[in-house]
Amino acid sequence: MQKILSTTAKELLLLVRDRAGLLVLFIMPAILVIVITLVQENILALSGQRQTEVLLLDQDGGVFASTLLSSLRQMKISVHSPEQGEDLQRLIADGRYQAGIIIPAGVSRRLQQEMASRLAAGDHAIDGTPDTASLSILFDPGAMAGFRAGILSRLQMAARAAEIEMLAQELGHSLQARLGRLNPGAPSPLQADDSLKQTFSHSFTTITEQPTTTGTATISDIINPVNQNVPAWALFGMFFTAIPIAGTILAERRSGIAVRLAGIPVSPLQLLGGKITAYLCVCLCQFLLIVLIGIVLFPHLGLQAFTLPENPMVLLPLICACSLAACGFGTFLGSVCHSYEQASTLGSTMVVIAAALGGVMVPVYAMPQMMQRLSILSPLNWGVNAFLDLLVRGKDFLAIGHDLARLLTFFAVMVILSWKRSSR
Amino acid sequence: MNPRDPGQDPAIQTAGLIKKYRLADRPALTGLDLTIGRGEFFGLLGPNGAGKTTILSILCGLRAPDGGTVRILGMEYRRQQRRIQERIGIVPQEIALYDQLTARENLIIFGRLLGLGGGRLKERTGYCLEIAQLHERADHRVASFSGGMKRRLNLVIGLLNAPSILFLDEPTVGIDTQSRHLIHRQLQGLHAQGTTLLYTTHYMEEAQELCSTIAILDEGRILRQGPPARLLQESACHSLEELFLGLTGKQIRDI
Repeated sequence: MQKILSTTAKELLLLVRDRAGLLVLFIMPAILVIVITLVQENILALSGQRQTEVLLLDQDGGVFASTLLSSLRQMKISVHSPEQGEDLQRLIADGRYQAGIIIPAGVSRRLQQEMASRLAAGDHAIDGTPDTASLSILFDPGAMAGFRAGILSRLQMAARAAEIEMLAQELGHSLQARLGRLNPGAPSPLQADDSLKQTFSHSFTTITEQPTTTGTATISDIINPVNQNVPAWALFGMFFTAIPIAGTILAERRSGIAVRLAGIPVSPLQLLGGKITAYLCVCLCQFLLIVLIGIVLFPHLGLQAFTLPENPMVLLPLICACSLAACGFGTFLGSVCHSYEQASTLGSTMVVIAAALGGVMVPVYAMPQMMQRLSILSPLNWGVNAFLDLLVRGKDFLAIGHDLARLLTFFAVMVILSWKRSSR
Repeated sequence: MNPRDPGQDPAIQTAGLIKKYRLADRPALTGLDLTIGRGEFFGLLGPNGAGKTTILSILCGLRAPDGGTVRILGMEYRRQQRRIQERIGIVPQEIALYDQLTARENLIIFGRLLGLGGGRLKERTGYCLEIAQLHERADHRVASFSGGMKRRLNLVIGLLNAPSILFLDEPTVGIDTQSRHLIHRQLQGLHAQGTTLLYTTHYMEEAQELCSTIAILDEGRILRQGPPARLLQESACHSLEELFLGLTGKQIRDI
């Protein structure tokens, strides 16, 4: 035990004195989690879950335009008008706004005429769909497809709402005129208030998002980019410990320390155990740092705070399993590479690929089918899945058993392979 | 001699030692027989590729031979590896130190790995710093040391466990005269105390000055072995270098 502890103390001492290494291990994942969470907050805006800004050129100035405008605002779209002399096309093309809507002149008048004539026609339906309210929408060429689809769908809903409101108004006028013809001089039942218009514009169907529950846990409140990003990017940072681990193994081999160590009465497994214990502590500190950022710093940046499960200790075995998997990968890297440069290039590339496949950068469900099948091979996928099960899906410890087993098996296989290779 | 009494066995004894590397054209060792008595200062000389490092790594237990036997203080690696390792010290050719740790921290870490602790560790660390003349720089990082200081520290780490046999692989390569002189003095002191030393070097004068016995090795076998003075007398050579070149040739060996 003394030999393992000595190796652990030595590794921690070496790490503390390696500022560049510390930067990679702690600052890099901290910056990543902050930047990515802030960026994803903005992506939510683009997909309609947060306030979106669009440009609107109102050449109509009528009831249709004003109703459309108020509907868009209700749909969390912040509408801006171009300043005098500013060209909407140019503003969009320059990327200052991602979408611009043009309401041509006379739309309200034409719509009113069309509705009135259709109502007047009664049973004699008018064939065809007249192009009475043709709106134009322009997108920044760089706008994402999801953003375009979201804006288009909300614009269609707002236009439909404006049409219904106008139709209700026209119907009121039409009924009033017909009743007046039947009984001249009688007051109209619709004249006193706007009840018909209100009835038409009222939505009778409501859609309510139900909180998803698993067992006793209610989890709708904790689904946010913070709770998804914090464990995912902490895991990403933890796997980067593979590079300094490989670096220490290679440095010992290059400097002759490995020869000295091989000649003293200490087993390779004790040496490896000491190294892994040191980096296990590093990984725990990394995770703690990222969680603290999520809890303390994020609310100051306008983000939601990271939510820990009711019993945070349930995370500990998972963090340990993920750390061991990362350490195992590091020892394997150290045993197969011939130089630090090789280990850092190979290691960082493999971690980034495993992170991409594992759903750290893009959720697995958003990947093509083939990639979804491949993602099961990534240890980061097992880790991310288990963290999401505990933190977001409200599952208990037993539910992540298979992911824990996979991570620990990966660790064991990596250590055995590196031990075999070192013994050659 | 009672073979069961390890106290009476030679320090190092090999018989029919064979080693062949996978991609090599010829074996590195071809049935090497070597006996080094206790308390000897044994110099192993040979051109590049002669098999010096191979012998040293087999004797230190870092490599297993393909054939033959090795006994260290009467013990075999197969059965008593840990006991052998507790009684030997290794000084690698490379500077095998942690650059970012201080001299004292390096000594303490290797000492603990050797199983030392408490007062014994403190005593051995102090002794090693003293004989390496590094007391004043004990708490400075090795990265700030000169080549000579690093070599001295590299040497004394091999002495932490007060070994019965010390294996030294070219311990004075590329250092200043003062440091070399100090290392020579310390090695002679160890020899005087009864430590067995197995020493490889390319410096003939050094071997002639320090070693009680030398062996000239080439192509995996020993060409000559004996005390330097006797070898010179038998060969009628004026210097060890003349004898060495006469036996191994003047052709440069690049491996």
